[in-house]
Amino acid sequence: MTVQATRPAAGSGLASSPRLARLPLGGTIDGTFLTLLAGAVILWFAPVGMGRYGTYVLSLWLVMSIAVMGLNLTLGYAGLKSLAQAAFMGLGAYTTAILTTKYGVSWYAAFGLSGLLTFAVGIVLGFPALRVKAHYLAFVTLAFSTLVWLALRNEQWLTGGVFGISNINRPDFFGIKLFGALEFHRFVVVVTLILAVALWWLIRSPWGRAFTALRENPIRAASLGIDTRAYTLLAFAIGSAYAGFAGALYAPLVEFIDPSPFSLSQSFFLLLMVVAGGSGYLLGPFVGALLGVVLPEWLRFAGSLYLIIFAAIVMLLLIACPQGVSGLMERAWAKLTGKRGDGR
Amino acid sequence: MKTPWIIAAAVTAGLAAPALAQEKVKLVNVVELSGAGATAGTNWKNGIDLAVADINAKGGILGRQIEIVHYDTQTNPGNTRAAVQRAIDEGTYAVLGPVFSGPIGASMQIAQRAEIAQIVGGEAAGLTKQGNQYLFRTSLSQAAAMPKIAKYLKDTVKAGSVAVVWVNNDFGKGGRDAIIPELEKVGIKVAADVSTEQGQADFAADAIKIRNANADAVFVYLNEEESARFLRAAKQQGITKPMVGETTLLGAKVIELAGDAANGVRGHVGLSIDAPIPAFQEFGKKFQAKYNQPSDHNGLKGYMAVHMIKWATEKQKKFDKKGVADTLRGATIKPSDEPGILIETTIEANGDLDRESFLAEVQNGKQVITATLPKIKP
Repeated sequence: MTVQATRPAAGSGLASSPRLARLPLGGTIDGTFLTLLAGAVILWFAPVGMGRYGTYVLSLWLVMSIAVMGLNLTLGYAGLKSLAQAAFMGLGAYTTAILTTKYGVSWYAAFGLSGLLTFAVGIVLGFPALRVKAHYLAFVTLAFSTLVWLALRNEQWLTGGVFGISNINRPDFFGIKLFGALEFHRFVVVVTLILAVALWWLIRSPWGRAFTALRENPIRAASLGIDTRAYTLLAFAIGSAYAGFAGALYAPLVEFIDPSPFSLSQSFFLLLMVVAGGSGYLLGPFVGALLGVVLPEWLRFAGSLYLIIFAAIVMLLLIACPQGVSGLMERAWAKLTGKRGDGR
Repeated sequence: MKTPWIIAAAVTAGLAAPALAQEKVKLVNVVELSGAGATAGTNWKNGIDLAVADINAKGGILGRQIEIVHYDTQTNPGNTRAAVQRAIDEGTYAVLGPVFSGPIGASMQIAQRAEIAQIVGGEAAGLTKQGNQYLFRTSLSQAAAMPKIAKYLKDTVKAGSVAVVWVNNDFGKGGRDAIIPELEKVGIKVAADVSTEQGQADFAADAIKIRNANADAVFVYLNEEESARFLRAAKQQGITKPMVGETTLLGAKVIELAGDAANGVRGHVGLSIDAPIPAFQEFGKKFQAKYNQPSDHNGLKGYMAVHMIKWATEKQKKFDKKGVADTLRGATIKPSDEPGILIETTIEANGDLDRESFLAEVQNGKQVITATLPKIKP
């Protein structure tokens, strides 16, 4: 797997910033882009012969990857510690579920609206981010997360409360029904690819540089003429919109939603996926979500011990490489080639 | 040219016969073994293991041994769906579990699409109102139990007003939405309607609210641990009014955790190892011996679930997945035909159950059955 040129959030300060200058210009094809394309092709064909269970787990992995990608932008690139990603995912999932089941809106419109709504809420919630940093921001987002969960649970007339919303339909694609596990999986692959490429482009654009500058040293960024306020808001809002998109796919994938998958503990779990995958690496979210979603399923052969083994693996991983799996791969690549940095 | 074929067929048949004799029937149990549902899910799993051991010791179902696999759901709907899908892909004969209503809601369409019977432990009223022909309960639904409670409050407790305290999850909210109209129907005033949280530790404020409502009785509808904490808080606040509950409040776990505070609690019990039915008591002893703890109603439910599948298979005399659901629907299973069902059980067309239930009271730290209630449609 190819790794990125940008450095992880953890680790040394500005020492490696010059590496940013070696990034290709926005839009240039690079290893990451090719990996995304190759991954999409593999995932398009992978479920053949896997059965519906395997296909479902792959789809769930991709959907969670989208939410983790958003959080990776907020945390890994812009350095904002958010504990509300699952809440944003919930907003997206409920928006899509309510619009498609109660009002008969097409999934595509609901998908767009879910993204727009979470983007807008992200901007509103982003305002406190201008005033508070680090732990304080985490607390603000924690409060927001609890608030969303309470609203999802208590406003039964709209959200179905603790009983949730069932029989959520899957969309059509130009007349092709996507009810089957394989068809819907392929649809998820395409949507994930589009969103991942969009983020890849964003990170390589001047905006992406601004986000990274913001994370590294906000004062220097401001002195270089970057509008830190606008970029903080943007990073937060785009990251939230990705969670909204993930939610819009999650609802038709599971065909049932209730408030539990969008609780605070799930936000922590998404945060774990960012860190374990390698925060600040574009492919990190895929690795992180693989660890968070697919690994526990693989470990089921261990019977009642599987969650203990899962937790032990994650802890060992983070002790061995605080930069996550992507960081580990980057180090391994550097050893192999004798080069530091990106693996292109 | 025909001879080789005949020999081949004879050889194949000869090889196949012993293979058939050893063939197993696979059952997958998808249940809450971690997360909020772990207490209920573990009891359910143990009940199933006990049933499988019993059935296998007696020669299995139609001569085939049962192979049981348990998959944890983490009490998460998305994971439950994955696990049920996996169970079906692996060719399970029927799906057992889950127990919590949310995860059931997330997974029931999959078994329905695959036309495989799913035997669940959920009590929420809404589950059987969606026209799913493959979903079966193992306990009375809230819609069936609550009218009995309302009648009990009116006729036996003689309460004119009742305070209702419930846990705000699918189980508690479902129960609350079912009991309040029933209370109003029999002319009982709802003096207080108190919502509490799943996992709540301190019930002092709720107990004070209940005390100030000054109702003739209190209806408590919480999960196991929360029930015990509430009973302790109520005792501390000096509430002396009758505490009335449904199954959970009188369960073994609650009595163990609440200690003295559980004494005097009474109400309706769907299933109990203390019921005056020898089969229940014998099950309770076997469970205690194997797991070193008393079984609650979920253990009984798990035990019965496996026997429902056994009964249906032996009734249709073949292993037909779809046939299990068809046979169960509308059937009445008698202990004389299938001792493992423990009590005569009627399965209605929508998957709800009808059977006898009990009124009980906690005396000196023990659940004592005071009356047996007949089936709704005897």
